Order: sequence, then C-alpha cells, then structure tokens
Amino acid sequence: MSQSQVSQTTDIIIETKNLSKTVFSSHTELHILSAVDLIIKSAESLAIVGASGSGKSTLLGLLAGLDTPTNGHVIINGENITALSEDGRASIRNQFIGFVFQSFQLLPNLTALENVMLPLELAGDNKAQESALFFLERVGLKERVTHTPKQLSGGEQQRVALARAFVTRPKILFADEPTGNLDSKTGKQIINLLFELNHEQQTTLVLVTHDKALAKRCQGTITLEAGKVL
Amino acid sequence: MKYSSLALRLLWREGRSGELTILFIALIIAVSSSTSISLFANRLHRTMTFQAAEFLAGDLVVASPTLLPTVWYAKAKQFHLQQAETAEFSSVLMENDELLLVGIKAASSLYPLRGHLKSTQTDYTDEKISLQPPKIGEVWVEARILSALKLSLGQSLTIGEKTLTISRILTYEPDKRGDIYSLSPRVLMNTKDLEATDIIQPGSHVHYFFQFSGKQSDIIDFKQWAKPYLNPSQRIMDIHEDRPELSTALTRAERYLGLSSIIVILIAGVAIAMATQRYSERHFNTSAILRCLGCKQNEILWLYSYQFLYLGLFASIIGCGLGWYGQQQLFYLLADLLPSQVSNPSFLAIILGFLTGLIILLGFALPPLLRLKKVSPLRVLRRDLEPLPSSAWLVYSCAFGLISCLIWQYTNDLKMMVTLLGGGILIILIIGVILYIAIIKARKLLPKLSIRWRFGVQAFLREPKATVSQLLAFSLTLVAMILSFTVSNDLIYDWQQQLPENTPNHFALNIFPNQLEDFKADLKQENIQLSQLYPIVKGRLVEINETPVQKIVSKDTQGQRAIHRDLSLTFSKTLPNDNQLIAGKWWKEDNPKKGLVSIEKKLAKSLNVTLGDELTFTVGSQQFHARVSSIREVQWETMKPNFYMIFSPATLENFSHTYLTSFYLPKDNKDSLNRLVKKYSAMTVLKVDAILDQFKTILAQLTQAINYLLYFALLAGFTVLFAAVYTTLDQRITEGALMRALGADRALLCNSHLVEFSLLGFISGLLAIMIAEALIFILYYFVLQLNYHPHWLLWGLSPLMGMVTVTFVGYLGVRKVIKSPPMGILRMAEGG
Repeated sequence: MSQSQVSQTTDIIIETKNLSKTVFSSHTELHILSAVDLIIKSAESLAIVGASGSGKSTLLGLLAGLDTPTNGHVIINGENITALSEDGRASIRNQFIGFVFQSFQLLPNLTALENVMLPLELAGDNKAQESALFFLERVGLKERVTHTPKQLSGGEQQRVALARAFVTRPKILFADEPTGNLDSKTGKQIINLLFELNHEQQTTLVLVTHDKALAKRCQGTITLEAGKVL
Repeated sequence: MKYSSLALRLLWREGRSGELTILFIALIIAVSSSTSISLFANRLHRTMTFQAAEFLAGDLVVASPTLLPTVWYAKAKQFHLQQAETAEFSSVLMENDELLLVGIKAASSLYPLRGHLKSTQTDYTDEKISLQPPKIGEVWVEARILSALKLSLGQSLTIGEKTLTISRILTYEPDKRGDIYSLSPRVLMNTKDLEATDIIQPGSHVHYFFQFSGKQSDIIDFKQWAKPYLNPSQRIMDIHEDRPELSTALTRAERYLGLSSIIVILIAGVAIAMATQRYSERHFNTSAILRCLGCKQNEILWLYSYQFLYLGLFASIIGCGLGWYGQQQLFYLLADLLPSQVSNPSFLAIILGFLTGLIILLGFALPPLLRLKKVSPLRVLRRDLEPLPSSAWLVYSCAFGLISCLIWQYTNDLKMMVTLLGGGILIILIIGVILYIAIIKARKLLPKLSIRWRFGVQAFLREPKATVSQLLAFSLTLVAMILSFTVSNDLIYDWQQQLPENTPNHFALNIFPNQLEDFKADLKQENIQLSQLYPIVKGRLVEINETPVQKIVSKDTQGQRAIHRDLSLTFSKTLPNDNQLIAGKWWKEDNPKKGLVSIEKKLAKSLNVTLGDELTFTVGSQQFHARVSSIREVQWETMKPNFYMIFSPATLENFSHTYLTSFYLPKDNKDSLNRLVKKYSAMTVLKVDAILDQFKTILAQLTQAINYLLYFALLAGFTVLFAAVYTTLDQRITEGALMRALGADRALLCNSHLVEFSLLGFISGLLAIMIAEALIFILYYFVLQLNYHPHWLLWGLSPLMGMVTVTFVGYLGVRKVIKSPPMGILRMAEGG
C-alpha cells in the first residue's frame, strides 16, 4: 500500500472493534481483554494505563500485531491485520511500526550502531549506516556507536532502542513501559527524548505505563481494569 | 535471497562476539577428521591394493585358454593401460635320460607389471630382484629341476624344438597362484622363444594370463568394458576375487576405516546438534526482535540458514586443509612401514570431505534452527514464551536419514543397515524410557539427602527430558569412542592370532607313504616342527545328486573354477584344529563310516550343495560316491594346509596317495632345506616366506594405521565431549550465580556442581558400555566376522572415564561462576 493511498483513505491510523482475548485452561476461561473499541488518529499520542495484570501489555501486543485476538479485529492504516497471516502482519510491522520495550531488547552481540542499522538492513536500505549514525547522534550517543549493550548503561541502552525505533521513520510507535527499568532521572530524560522525536517525526505514539505523570503528557489516556476499558 | 549478504554481515558480527566458536570448532573437527580419515583410507587403500596387486603381477588379470582378440589390446591402450602376458602349460622335459613334468611359463617383456621376480645363481642366500623375465634364448628354472634332470647353470635345456641356456635359478614369482598343491617345478622363459619351441599346437592345453596395470579408474572402466566380452572359459581376476586370505584382511581393514569415519561423523554430529541447540536457544530473543522488526518466518529461516551455510563453507575449507595436513602427518609417521611409493589421494576424497561437512551441518543443525522460525514475536513482551520444539520426527528423521545413508554406504547391505539402525534405535528408546522413569522415581529420594548432595542431585533430576537427552548425547559420544577402541584392539589381536611367530612358511608335498616315517624322523633331527600330515588324492567332482556338475554351477563362480580342475582330496579321522563345523556332524572318530564327505562352506554355497547331497568324484578312471555329512568353515589365512573336501578315511584310503604338510623353518636355516630337498628328490617344497612376509607387512601397516585412527577418534571424542558439556552450561551458570546471590557459599556450589557432573558422567559411561556391547556384538557377528567376547574391563573403565571427563570439563566451565562475583553473571544473563 503506498503512502498516497494511505493519506487519502482516512486520518484514523488504528482502530479496534470488539477486541477480546480469552485464555482457556483445562477448566476455566480467563478473560484477559473484553470488547475493547478504540480509535487512534494519526500523529496522536495515547497512554494505556492500569494496574499490573489489567491487560495493558496484552492490548499492546494485539494492537501491534504481535498476537492474535480471540474475538474482534485490529485495523492498522486501513488494513484489517487480524485477517492477515503472521507473515502479512510482519510486513505491516516492517512498513509502519516501531517498538520501544521496557527491557530494551537490544541484540547482545551487536554494537549500538549495528543494532540501529538492523531494521534498515532487513528492509534492504543501502544507506543504513548513514541513517543509523544520524539517529544515534540525535539521541546523544555519537561517541558510543561501537559499544555493545553490555558496555552501555541502562539509559544508554534505551537511547539506542529509541534510535532503532525511529530510524525506519515508522508511522506508529509502540512503547511498553519505556522507563520501567530506569531510575527516575534517567527515565525522565528518555521520556523527553521520546516525545521530542515523536514530535519531530509526527509519529503516532501508543504508550503503556503505570506512571500517571507520564500518561498526562499524552494527548489521550485509556485506563484498563480487569481487561475492560473504564 | 536478499538476505545473503546481510547474513554474512550478521555472521561476522556474531563470530566476533565468540557466539559461534563451539559450533565452528565442532564443524572443523567433523570435517577435518572425516576428510583426513577418508583421504587416509583412500590413499592407504590404493597403496594396499597396489601392493596386493603384486600377487597377481598386475592390477587386473584375464585368464583365458586362448589368446585375446586384438580389440582387447586396442581397448587397453585406449585406457592407457600397460599390458603383459604369460602363457602357462605343462610339458615333459628330458635331459640326461631323466624325465620330468614341469610347468612352463612364457612371459612377455613387461612381465611382471606389479611385484618382481627373484632369482639366484648359487642358492637361497644370494637372491636378486628383477623386473623382467629371462632374455631371449635364456631360461630360469627352479632348483629342483636342476637336481632332477642332473643339470647345472650355464648348460642348455631343450623345450620342444628350442634349446635355451639356463642362466639363473628362479626362487620367487609374484603370481604363483591357484592350487599350490599341484604345482609342478617351474621353468620361466621369454615369450619370444615360445613359437620356436613348436609346443603350442591347436588344441594344446595352455593357460594364458593377460595382466593389465594402470590408474585405478582406468582399470575399473576397463573391467566394466571387458566383462560382457568374457566367454565361459575366461575370467577376470583382481585382488578381491582371487586371494581370499588377503582380501579378508583388506576388507576388514577397509570396514574398520569406514567404521571410523562414521564414528567420527557421529561424534561431531552430536556436538553440532548440541551446539546448534544452544545457539538456537540463545537466539530466541533475537528472532523475536527480528520478527518485531518485520521479518517473516521464512526470512528468519533463510537468514540463519545462510549464516550456517557460510559457517559450513568456512569450516569445511579449514577442515579440509587440516584434514589434508593430518593425513600427510599420518603417512609421514608411517613412512617406515609403507612402501616407498605411496599412491596419491584421489581428488574425490577431498570433495567428499567437503560435502560431508555441509551434510552433517544440515542433518544435525537444521532441526534446532527450524525452531527459531517458530519464535513468537510476542516474546519481546513475555520472555517466558518459548517456541514449540520442532516436531520430533523431523529432528530425528534428519539425523536418522543421514546416519542411514552413511551406514548403507559403509556396509553396502540394506538388510544389515536396517538391523543395525533398528537395533540401535530400539536400544536407545528402551534406555531413554527406563532413564526417564528412573529419574522421576529417584526424585522421591531427594529429601533424604544432605544439602551438600541434594542440590547436585536435584539439578540432575529437575528436567528429566533435558537430562535424558544430555545423557544420551554424552553416552553416544562415549559409545563411539568405545567402539573405536575395542574394534581396533580385537581386530589387531585377531590378526596376531592368525599369524603367530612360527607360522608355517614352507609346504612340502609329494611325500610318498613309504617315506613318511623317515621324513618325520629327519624333520625331528633338523629340529623342525611340522603341522599335521595330510594324505592327498587328486580327484575331480563330476556329479551332484547324479546331475552333472556342469549343469549346476553358474558361470565365473568359485564352484565353476573348482570343477574345472583336479581337487586335492584328503581323508581324516579328526576335524582339523582350525576348521569349524557350521552344519551337520563330524563322523565318529573311533569308527568312521565309509562314503562321507565334509565340504567347505563357500564352495558348498557356490555349488548349491547341502547336507545329505550325494557327490560323485572321479580319481583316475575310478568313480566313487560320498554323502555330504557336514559343512566346514575354513580359515584360509592360517597358512596351514586347508581342504575343500575331507572324506571319512574308508572312502579314500584305498586310492594311491601322497602326503602334504607345512612347517616353519627360520630364514637363516636354508641348509636343512637343501639337505631335505636332496634326500627326497620327488618331494616338492614350496616356499611361502615371501607371501607370508608380504602378508605380515600389510597387517603391520594396517595395525599401525588403525591405531592412529583410533587416537584420532578418541581425540575427536574428547574434544567434542568438552564442547558438548560447554553447551549445557548456560543455565547452570545463571542458577549458580543466583544461588550465590542468595548466600550459598562456594564450597556448597562447587560440591553441588561436582555431584551433578559426576552423576551425568557416570551414568553416561554406564549407558555407553551397555549400548557399545550390543553394537559390538552386532558388528562382529554380521560385519567383521570376529569372535565376540564381553569387554569386562571397559565395564569398569567407561563409567569412570565418563565421570572424570564430564566432571573435569564441567568444572572448568562453571569455575567462573564460583569464582567471580554473582552480579556480573546475573547482569550478563539478563542482557542475553
């Protein structure tokens, strides 16, 4: 699907209808998520908050196409990704989506630069190194490009993860507790950087957090409790 | 396909981090060992075959009663083969009023193509080697001809119409073949004098032998070409078909070499499977991230497959280089034993080594890799999500298919492959299930153990499936090492048994019954120990169950050859020592019945003769019948008189007979021989020293080679065991760090690891010897034809060795956890 087609269709970038996830064990059914209806517009920022076990991460996984719902569907950029195969969803992720995780999820054997280059290399981009260096400089790690994750602090690792998330210039960025593993000062710096980049790149941001202050910085907030939107 | 270059970059990045080292080393071991073994075996085989070809005086010999059509020569030339020919016939010579039946051999100028002639001008102490037959106008004769015809060197000898000069005494010809009991004394002349003798007329009884030599591939091609042109009276001989005693040794050695490569490949395969398993587990996260970044399932598989393919290529190139170097070193070490001219290895062997590397990698690494494809992208949010294991049938059928192909190639016998593999799998399944149950049951004992023991035993019992698979992997490696060790030992022992110090090196035949007592006394006086004396009656097999044998036997078989000549028939009350009855009963020693015969196993098979069949023989003009009462297995390689047919005494003793025996005479004691030959002028003495020496040399070479291969297999085994233990350390290291963080002291941790590794090693060793004994039994019985006996010493050694090795290597691996602060390790585990 080309860019021009996307902008013509709608401003809505993510839409869910009756999204549910149920886990079946031998005797019981566990409703992790029940009938969630959401509409997220392009370049909007949305925080998903709730207590532990409320279904935040499950919702994020479903929105990003990492998991499939038991009922309902997710439409990203006009396409029903629930109806797609796993490989079809991978293709959507590759074109439109970036991720930032609580535990950074950098590849331990690659340097900072190589980690950031990887998504571009996977897409066959010839200028991978140039773009990666640009974003590493943007997150303030110009001097540390040859270091591996083990040689970086937690804050630095999350900066590398931010650079990796933005380097493909995704339309949507999913962030799962991005400051969860960091001290408050470093966490603040990372969040500032995240919002700056988000603003610069006009990215839609979906952020899972239990930090109310952080949620307030987003344009919208939904609260989950026992798998339902309050 | 777009991932091929990305894969190369990723491989480089991974390699730099040391992630692939174990896998890379395992692959290099696999390729270098299989290449060097296959190169070594290939060269050794070619060298041995070359040496063995000496016994035929060529690489391939066509025996024919007539000259070959010219197209044969043209074809041989086309295949770049050297060609020589000999014509053999019997003739009666008359000199100085003495008559003597001799075997004349007329040889062309290139004879012998392989091996050499030996001759002398005085006696046995002054032998000279020559590579050509006598010159035109000259003959070489055996010493007994000179004494029988009252001639001496330099005098002339008339053969038919031609008078030739006796220039040397012939002492050795490489291709002295066939029925050695009926050999007449030899006269060797040049083919160019043959026509002038005017002996060979149409209808004359002549055996022509056409020798060919050249490159092995050309010889094989020529043989393929020639086979359809053979008529029933012609046959092709090569070393495997013509010398049973040598071909047994060669075949066994070849089979051992084949077995060694399978063993090393199996060992390396286990290491590769374990290393890939570990690699794949350590890459679950990477795959999940790649999936998040938009990689499709197949793209992930391609990405990793390319990396492994590159890895395989690099390792194979290095492995081939090392393999080449290794086999050069082997030949260098063996230089004293091997003939000065060692054949070059065939290029195919290198290619084969190279391919082996890639195929092993594919067979053993693909199944764990396939698991990476199945990693859910959701794992980035939930670390505990593990991909489903690759379906069991896929994992095992890959490795299984690979091993079946190897065994099939090795045994060349489908039934055997099925037996071996079926047996192997059944054993492993049964043992696996028993272990699994035992481990679950053993958990109940845990609370009764002291804490120092409990942690170690608990670690061992915690995950029965993982423990069972580790146990099987370690024990399979140990099985391979044990197999290598025992088979080589038993093979060498068996050879030594075959040819003890004073193996008879002379045959004496044509001893008349009235000379028997004198002869025995003379030998005793000369201090010579003789083996049994056998009466010999020359006779021919003519009918089986009243059907003429010509109608029964098929073309170009042992049976056909046996019915076309006189057989040496003997009679005996007792079964010869080294013969073994495989069917029927031996006659009563105190009162043997008349009309019974015991037949050799292979001939019986070839003639389709079974117990109870009635055989008809002719001796001279008389005919008699005998019923087959037993079938014997004969050890042809003992260098003692052996017989196809042994009769109950009453059947044969009334026919006129002479005696045959064999005895050992030290090489420096040729005077005794000269005295005996002079006294018993009708007696024929055959020296088999040269054959025996050649045989012994070949066995010594094989023994050395096999020992080196064994060291190689053991070395590979230890290295791989080392690598295999290392691949299982990850979880232990993390848990060790956690235990230390929770306050476990170093001694407790160290003790618990030692207990766990000792248990793993001990049980692996015990399993290994159980599996190995079963396999050895199958191998000996079906493949190597060796006698099986249990290896009690190994029942003690194997568990001990397993325990010491696994504990040592394991301790080296986890030492880090015990010594370094736990924080770093926990962080490392978190990051990974």
